[in-house]
Amino acid sequence: MDCQDVRARLLEDQRGRLAPEIRADLRAHILDCAACARTDSAERALTQVLDRGLPQYPASLALKRRLEAEWPASPRVAALAATAPAWWRRWGRSLVPALALAAALLAVLPLYRALVPPFDARTALVTEAVNDHLRVLASQQPLEVQRGGIHQVKPWFEGRLDFAPVVAFDGDAEFKLEGGAVGYFLDRRAAVFVYRYRLHAITLLVFRADGISWPEHGLAPLGTIHASQLASRGFNVVLWRAGGLGYALVSDTEPGVLARLAPRIVEG
Amino acid sequence: MLTTAGAAPSGARADCYSEAMAAGSGADPGVALGREALAYVDALHNLARYLTGNAADAEDLVQETYLRALRSAGQFAPGTNLKAWLFRILRNTHISMYRRRRNDPTVGGLDTVDPDTQGTADDAWLLGDLDLDRLRNLVAQEIEEALMRLSEDARAVVLLDLEGLTEAEVAGIMGCAVGTVKSRLARARATLRQLLADYAK
Repeated sequence: MDCQDVRARLLEDQRGRLAPEIRADLRAHILDCAACARTDSAERALTQVLDRGLPQYPASLALKRRLEAEWPASPRVAALAATAPAWWRRWGRSLVPALALAAALLAVLPLYRALVPPFDARTALVTEAVNDHLRVLASQQPLEVQRGGIHQVKPWFEGRLDFAPVVAFDGDAEFKLEGGAVGYFLDRRAAVFVYRYRLHAITLLVFRADGISWPEHGLAPLGTIHASQLASRGFNVVLWRAGGLGYALVSDTEPGVLARLAPRIVEG
Repeated sequence: MLTTAGAAPSGARADCYSEAMAAGSGADPGVALGREALAYVDALHNLARYLTGNAADAEDLVQETYLRALRSAGQFAPGTNLKAWLFRILRNTHISMYRRRRNDPTVGGLDTVDPDTQGTADDAWLLGDLDLDRLRNLVAQEIEEALMRLSEDARAVVLLDLEGLTEAEVAGIMGCAVGTVKSRLARARATLRQLLADYAK
């Protein structure tokens, strides 16, 4: 078995579809051939990345219910489906369960609101924000761009993010802007700014807010923004949205300090 | 409640349907087929989402796929792979519903890595465990972006392979020869490796 044969069969080997004797030949070749071993590692790494990291888009519950309702309970219904007008086949019958579901949701929603605390979205965001803050603190070289003011830090993000972080506060004697870095917030890239307040590090994360479940209740006005102020594991967190971007301010300093800083981030 | 089909093995065949047919038990084979077919809705929706690029079109595509499957239920051969049959209907439906009405340059994406340079590309970036670790640390958004840069056919082949379908089954879905699937899959994965390596730098 030569290198070309081996490489053509690496995926089949990964999928467990090779006959035992062919697989034995292939593995023996890989043991002796560094180039094929590298290709094998590359193929396995790619499969692993796709298996674990590629977002999956399952069907919505509403679609499942529609399809379940549409599949015939008897051949008679199938015959009806085949003879119904095209527009009805495509849309009409789907409206019935959709409307029923909407009515049920309308009836259940107030009860759900009363029973389920509206903090799930906040908890997930706060946990992520605190974890990101800890990553910045734990990193040996947390900042990829150092000091120099906001007009040096912000342009540094160009080409590194698919959005422009809107941060107006340049830092001052009380809150010194230490620098910035590219990080991650949940499944997306984030601009990370680090301010220093006395001996406390304050991390500001700016990220695209689309597709993130965001707290709608319990927001407090802080200057021109409306924010959630929360605490987790001894850290204080302020969360808000503005202009399609999400903001998370995290530190172990007092909540009042973050409440002073948050509006200045957007107002300057 | 429906079950999900994301983890359904490739070897999963139309068990309920086949049993109903074989037993002659009086159970309605159409209903049994429907129950089995609906178990694959998550896998179908996932492929539809990556083919259409948006949630609304994906839902329409899946709904139309099941409608066509329902009308063609009599053509399904018991004992063959129901999942592959549904994927074939979905792909054909996608072609007839979306491709011809769309003039989108992203339809023709990347999948044209020169096979002769494939080994060189591997050698160039996969030099050690550090590179592999970087690749594994890519986030979901980057992986999805890389996949969406492939052409529709290349994307479909990669996703169908990940669903555990054999090359012969993928060839049946795509309407091409097994050899074409092999080369298309190899090119698509090589392109993906290059794109992801760029992200991992």
